[in-house]
Amino acid sequence: MTDFTPPDHRFDAVDLGDTDREQASLNGHTIEQLSDYLHCGRLPVDASIDDSPECAIALRSLERLRRAQRILLDSELHRESLREDSWIASILGTITLEAHAGRDIVLPHPQPTARLVVTEGALRGILRETGDRMNNVLVGRCALIGDVEVPKTPITVEVDVTVFPGRNIPRLAEELRQALSAALAQYTELVVAAIDITVTDLQTAIAVSTPQQESP
Amino acid sequence: MRGTVRGQAASSLDRATDRLLADRAADGDVGAFSVLVRRYGPLMRVYATRILGSNDESDDVVQESFIAAWQQFGTLADGRAVKSWLMRIVSRKSIDRLRARRHYVIIDETDAPAPKNHEPHALVEAESQTEALARVLADLPEDQRRCWSLREIAEYSYADIATELNLQVSTVRGLLARARKTLLREMEDWR
Repeated sequence: MTDFTPPDHRFDAVDLGDTDREQASLNGHTIEQLSDYLHCGRLPVDASIDDSPECAIALRSLERLRRAQRILLDSELHRESLREDSWIASILGTITLEAHAGRDIVLPHPQPTARLVVTEGALRGILRETGDRMNNVLVGRCALIGDVEVPKTPITVEVDVTVFPGRNIPRLAEELRQALSAALAQYTELVVAAIDITVTDLQTAIAVSTPQQESP
Repeated sequence: MRGTVRGQAASSLDRATDRLLADRAADGDVGAFSVLVRRYGPLMRVYATRILGSNDESDDVVQESFIAAWQQFGTLADGRAVKSWLMRIVSRKSIDRLRARRHYVIIDETDAPAPKNHEPHALVEAESQTEALARVLADLPEDQRRCWSLREIAEYSYADIATELNLQVSTVRGLLARARKTLLREMEDWR
C-alpha cells in the first residue's frame, strides 16, 4: 500500500462500530489492516498478525470474500464474453475515421486547378499495412515528422515495431525500411530524409507462424 | 496472398500488447481498436452494470465510453495504461448517468427507487455464494459501491479512487472499510 493514513484519521468519514473494540478483538489491528496485509501477500511478515488466532479467523473470512469476488467477476466476464458481437459492430459503426485523419499531404496533379491530397491518417494506414504484410513484425505508432503540407520539404518517418522471434532483427528492420520506403514512393512524392525504426517490444509468444497462417 | 496476410495480421493483433494496440488506435487503426473493444469491453460492461444496476443502461454507457475513447486516443500518453484509462472513462460515464437519473427523478417528482437487478430476500437461502455476493454488492450504498467497484474491478489505488471521485483519501478508506465490514458480516450468514 502506498497510502498511509495516520491512526487518528481512520474511519473519519463513516465509522461503523467502535475502532477500539475492533482493535481489541484483532490483537491491535483493524479489518482494513488485515485486508491490506492480505493484498500484499502477507508481506512483510507481521508476527503480531500471523500468531494471533483472532486475526487468523478474520483473514480466513477476508480470503473467502476475495475468492467469492473473483468467482463472481469471472462468471460475469464469462457471461459477457458469450454475448453476440453485435455490440462491437455497433460501436465500430459509430466511430469515424475523421477523428484521426491528421494533416493533408498534397500530391501533384496534372491540372493546376485541381488539388489532390492524401490524409496523414490514410498514409499511416498504408505504412501499417506494409509492415503487417511482413512476417514476424507488427507496426505500432507511425509518425511523419516535418512539414508534410509543404511539398518537397524533407521529412522523417518514425515507426515503432513489435518483433516476434525467428528473425535477425537488424535484417528484419532493413527489409521493413525498404518496404516502407517503396510504399511511400509509390503513393506520395514526399522527400523522405530518414526512416527511423524503433523496436519497442519483443513478443515472446509466436503469434504469426502457426501452419494455417503461413502463406502457401 | 492478400487474404492470408490480412488474416495473419488480425490474429497477431489479437495477441498484441496493450501498448501496440493503443498506439495503433491512436493512429486511427480500427482493427487495433476493435481488439481493445473485445479485450476490455466485457470488464467495462461488468463495471457499468455494477454501478448502474441495469444492463440496458450499461450497454449505452460502454458504447459512449468507447466512442469517446476513440476520439481521445491522442491524449493517452502511455499505451500501456490503456486498461485503467478505459476504466476511468467508463467510470465517469457511469457516474454521469447516475447523476442524470437523479436529476430526472427530481424533475419528475416520482419517488421510484433505483432499479435493482437482484432477487427478493426470500430467495436468499437458495442462492449460491456468488449470487449472494452480487446481491449484497447491489445493496451497498451508492458511494460505497462506487469505491468498491473501482477498487475490485478497475484495480484502482486508494489515491486514484479519491482523485476520480473527488474525495479525501481518508473518506475513501472509510467507505471501503464500511463496505468490507458489511460484506464480511453478510458472508457469515452464507456458511
